[in-house]
Amino acid sequence: MQKQDLIEKNPIRHLKGESDAKESSRMGLVMARAGVGKTALLVQIALDSLLQDKQVVHVSVGQSLDKTKLWYDDMFKDIAECCKLDNAGEIHDSIMHNRMIITFNESRFSLAKLEERLHDLVQQNVIKPSCMVVDGLDFGHTDRTVLEGMRELAKSMDLQIWFSAVRDETSEVLSPAGVPAPCNAVEDLFNTIVLFHPVPKSDCIDLKIVKGSAAVSKCGKLLKLDSRTFMIREDCN
Amino acid sequence: MRDITKVRNIGISAHIDSGKTTLTERILFYTQRIHAIHEVRGKDGVGAKMDSMELERERGITICSAATYCDWKNHAINIIDTPGHVDFTIEVERALRVLDGAVLILCSVGGVQSQSITVNRQMTRYRVPRVAFINKCDRTGANPDKVIKQLRDKLGLNAVPIQVPMGLEGDMQGLIDLVRMKAVYFDGENGDKIREEEIPAQYQEECDIKREEMLDAVSMFSDELMEAVLEGTPTEEMIMAAIRKGTLDLAFTPVMMGTAYKNKGVQLLLDAVVSYLPCPTDVENFALDLDHDEAEVKVTNISSDPLLALAFKLEDGRYGQLTYVRTYQGTLKKGDSIVNVRTGKKAKVGRLVRMHSDDMEEIDEAGAGDIVALFGIDCASGDTFTSGSDYNFSMTSMHVPAPVISLSITPVDNKAQDNMSKALNRFTKEDPTFKTYVDQETLETIISGMGELHLDVYVERMKREYKAEVTVGAPQVAYRETITQRAEFNYTHKKQTGGSGQFGRVAGYIEPMEEGEYEFVDQIVGGSVPREYIPSCDKGFQKCLDKGALVGAHVTGVRCAINDGASHAVDSSDIAFQLAAMGGFKEAYMKAKPVIMEPIMKVAVEGPSEFQGSIMGSLNQRRGMIIGTNEEDAYTVIEAEVPLSEMFGYSTDLRSLTQGKAEFTMEFATYRQVPKSVAEELIVKAQKNKKS
Repeated sequence: MQKQDLIEKNPIRHLKGESDAKESSRMGLVMARAGVGKTALLVQIALDSLLQDKQVVHVSVGQSLDKTKLWYDDMFKDIAECCKLDNAGEIHDSIMHNRMIITFNESRFSLAKLEERLHDLVQQNVIKPSCMVVDGLDFGHTDRTVLEGMRELAKSMDLQIWFSAVRDETSEVLSPAGVPAPCNAVEDLFNTIVLFHPVPKSDCIDLKIVKGSAAVSKCGKLLKLDSRTFMIREDCN
Repeated sequence: MRDITKVRNIGISAHIDSGKTTLTERILFYTQRIHAIHEVRGKDGVGAKMDSMELERERGITICSAATYCDWKNHAINIIDTPGHVDFTIEVERALRVLDGAVLILCSVGGVQSQSITVNRQMTRYRVPRVAFINKCDRTGANPDKVIKQLRDKLGLNAVPIQVPMGLEGDMQGLIDLVRMKAVYFDGENGDKIREEEIPAQYQEECDIKREEMLDAVSMFSDELMEAVLEGTPTEEMIMAAIRKGTLDLAFTPVMMGTAYKNKGVQLLLDAVVSYLPCPTDVENFALDLDHDEAEVKVTNISSDPLLALAFKLEDGRYGQLTYVRTYQGTLKKGDSIVNVRTGKKAKVGRLVRMHSDDMEEIDEAGAGDIVALFGIDCASGDTFTSGSDYNFSMTSMHVPAPVISLSITPVDNKAQDNMSKALNRFTKEDPTFKTYVDQETLETIISGMGELHLDVYVERMKREYKAEVTVGAPQVAYRETITQRAEFNYTHKKQTGGSGQFGRVAGYIEPMEEGEYEFVDQIVGGSVPREYIPSCDKGFQKCLDKGALVGAHVTGVRCAINDGASHAVDSSDIAFQLAAMGGFKEAYMKAKPVIMEPIMKVAVEGPSEFQGSIMGSLNQRRGMIIGTNEEDAYTVIEAEVPLSEMFGYSTDLRSLTQGKAEFTMEFATYRQVPKSVAEELIVKAQKNKKS
């Protein structure tokens, strides 16, 4: 399989809203309960950009650099194996040059700091990201203003930003569009919101697009993914 | 013979300027190994380190020597020097092998710094249990709580204080032991008179809270303690047993504090070493069975079993070579004959000594788990000794990583020439990653090792210890070549023009191989190449590996297979088939799309956040691939993978870029293909060199 096929099989194709005129300066959110694979999906989103030779910044709150790097290596390896990608090693080395990880300790994350870092990176010509994924941000304790700030950042730096959030299972609250707590009140800030959960007794994952990307594929608003590679499963429909 | 459970082999690991020398001084003083305290006064890191070296010289003590022995409360403590820099991979590994536990010293102001992170990672890899000691609590800005948090966040240790300081900075009075709930004061001029009292009222509340936290954390390791805590009746013994268990399992790191300089807390640290760090039998050590493909075998630690001892450090003393050994099992006795597993040579144990800080004590035997020194045994460091040749086990793997960097050295005069060869002879024995040879083309002496600093240290030692002044050439990176696709060959070597002729034809292919350096595959059927000449083909291929056709670098990752050939009844010979194989290899090599590989280093730079941008810029300039950054309080750690060839002189650059506030560590990560543009440059350069 070639790099191009890999790009097409990526579920992110359907989430990023290719049909929309402007791909950048959007915000997306993936939600699931703990331990289902939010990080994996974010990494998949990042890999999609990387495979198109775009640059990505991965912001990880509360996870170490090594661990985050391992996510990429493992995910890429799994995908390369499953899809029998040609010259995987070479592609891996070349795309990882376009990725940059910034980690924060849980208590240390601040928008101002992140902004400063990103400007540094661009100024020093280290990286000019077109996509940023933010993993591990605690939405229960994050101010709306921070997210608004993020939106501004997305606009000013011409970025798309993807977040992950842990679904609060103790709360039954849903926003009008069906977004559960703790993100029900900030729904309006995101262009795309995705909920997902594993399908019991199978190696599939159901991915439900709650908001955005109206013009999705033939599969409608529900996609089925392989739980290992997070690629679209054709046999699952 | 001593009771093995009363032996502690420990290392003291510290970042520069966190007070390792002072603490070691104090330990030796309190254990009555030295009788007066001398101070190290260095305001900056470099100064302190140099001071301590000078101090050692002057007084002839061996704080910095491989092992120092002292007694504390009926326990024998061997303090083993742990080199801090990752460039000395093998040396660090060896030091970590022989110690059973470690004390991690941290400065209460500086906290966890990048070097501590590297050493800690290595200790985790070798499963070394450790206790932490927060030193310099008398310094302005001392903040043990911050350091404990860093121990957790940065080093990932389950660090929990088992003491509370009474006052910090200038007015530190003593410590409160949370296990016994007693206030401890260190009286007398040298703090050697310990006075225990009830906890002063103003600390009572804090101590209750901290003790609660400690009990919470340690009761995880003992059901008995857990129950006792619930009933409110935990005893000292239970708590100590639980702390010990947690520490040995590497699941818990007790944190102590004090100030060695002001003589506070050192005795309690020694108590903790005895109580919480493992004795040799608590730790599992493995030997490698050389008869069974280096399979791991657990050593027994029993003194009556066959001997297994590891020589971990050599020292040139006044009386010849001093070899530090650790016995893992069996007994080392004066007059016994022992066998060096690597060379197979027998040797007789002449003098057996125990090293003290300022002298040595002759002993007759050393049991399992002990650390002693031998005189007059010819060996290299890392060699294993056993009691007999039928007992074929080794404590270290025979595989040594290949050096990644080399440079040429030229002695300035004849005297230096002599001394240099003496020094090189010594160093290669001490350190298997340090290699030396004479380049046949330039006739220069080349030394090679694991990093720039690694070689720098040896050049410096040559000057200091052997008075060998040498001029040093520019460092050269050890490139490699490998092939990327399969290619066939069919080559006939023929020289039948009078005299005895040569004839041999080989056909086959070469192909890339993921792991390993070289493999020879014999697929000859029907005897087209006679049996006796097949090893000749193998030899011929191997000769080609030394110098690749691209830049003359070592060729690795190649599988050479032969599947057809022809021979001549009279003219075929060993050399003819070697030459045929060499010809075949050369024929196929360029078709197999060879590429140049270079060593990539994993670099971690730590510095104040304001310099982060310029640090990243500097790494980027050096073809570095920045993996990411980690934000800490006021500083940032940047991790990157950078080609070794680009790292020369980086420390100077980094210093000027950051006003000396950033530091970096580097270790070998992997070999990776050189980018095209660089490869072309290298090829052009190699061709020029060839012509000249």
